[in-house]
Amino acid sequence: MLTDLLTPETTLFADRVDGWRDAVERVARPLLDSGAISDHYVAAMTDSIAAGGTYIDLGFGIALAHSRPENGVVRTGLSSLRVGETVLLADDPAHPIDLFFCLAATDPQSHLDTMMALATLLSDETLRAELLASTTPADTLAVLTKIGQNA
Amino acid sequence: MKFLAVCSSGLGSSFMVHMNIEKVLKEQGITGVDVDHADLGSVGPGAADVVFVGADLADSVGGLGDVVVLDSIIDLAELRTKVRETAIRKGVTVPDAGAN
Repeated sequence: MLTDLLTPETTLFADRVDGWRDAVERVARPLLDSGAISDHYVAAMTDSIAAGGTYIDLGFGIALAHSRPENGVVRTGLSSLRVGETVLLADDPAHPIDLFFCLAATDPQSHLDTMMALATLLSDETLRAELLASTTPADTLAVLTKIGQNA
Repeated sequence: MKFLAVCSSGLGSSFMVHMNIEKVLKEQGITGVDVDHADLGSVGPGAADVVFVGADLADSVGGLGDVVVLDSIIDLAELRTKVRETAIRKGVTVPDAGAN
């Protein structure tokens, strides 16, 4: 369940952040604090983006920051950060981001349900709009409970 | 017939595209297509009949054969259109193909 991973502690909001690196560090912070990832994972994500890895831009102003399991994943985790002021991923005007997710995955198969729920959530036009309109963790968590109900 | 979603990590976006392709195939009643996902580094020519990638990898997959580039990997409307077109192009039986 996404609600096992996205909780009031891992669902963050910031009026403004200091560029994409700050956004990535902030969205990764709850996973770092809980021990789901190591410092190395944050560096791997940042390095990847800096090297042109803007593939984490999913479209619609949403980015899914992640790296490979061997780069410091301890256990599966997910966090989100809604920024009040749009951030340019890799300082690239082609990649404006309003909502960052940070995914830590130990391997693809063990978190199949999580990925399916996330794909359903982000691919659903209505839920996506509600997610982007959320201004509190309670708003976001309320959207999560609707996943799959109209699929 | 095999469709393969590819991204740099093989875990995040390609996995989402994989699941969304399966969803689209199912809702359109298209059968006979295997879907999988992989990371760019592990994929060689002939790994699949068609490779689906996000726009950022469009320049990196030149050697992989038949490639479909997605502008957004969470845009189901785009995926519906492109999966359907691809299936028809590859000769997969698509219900109501004439109605496209």
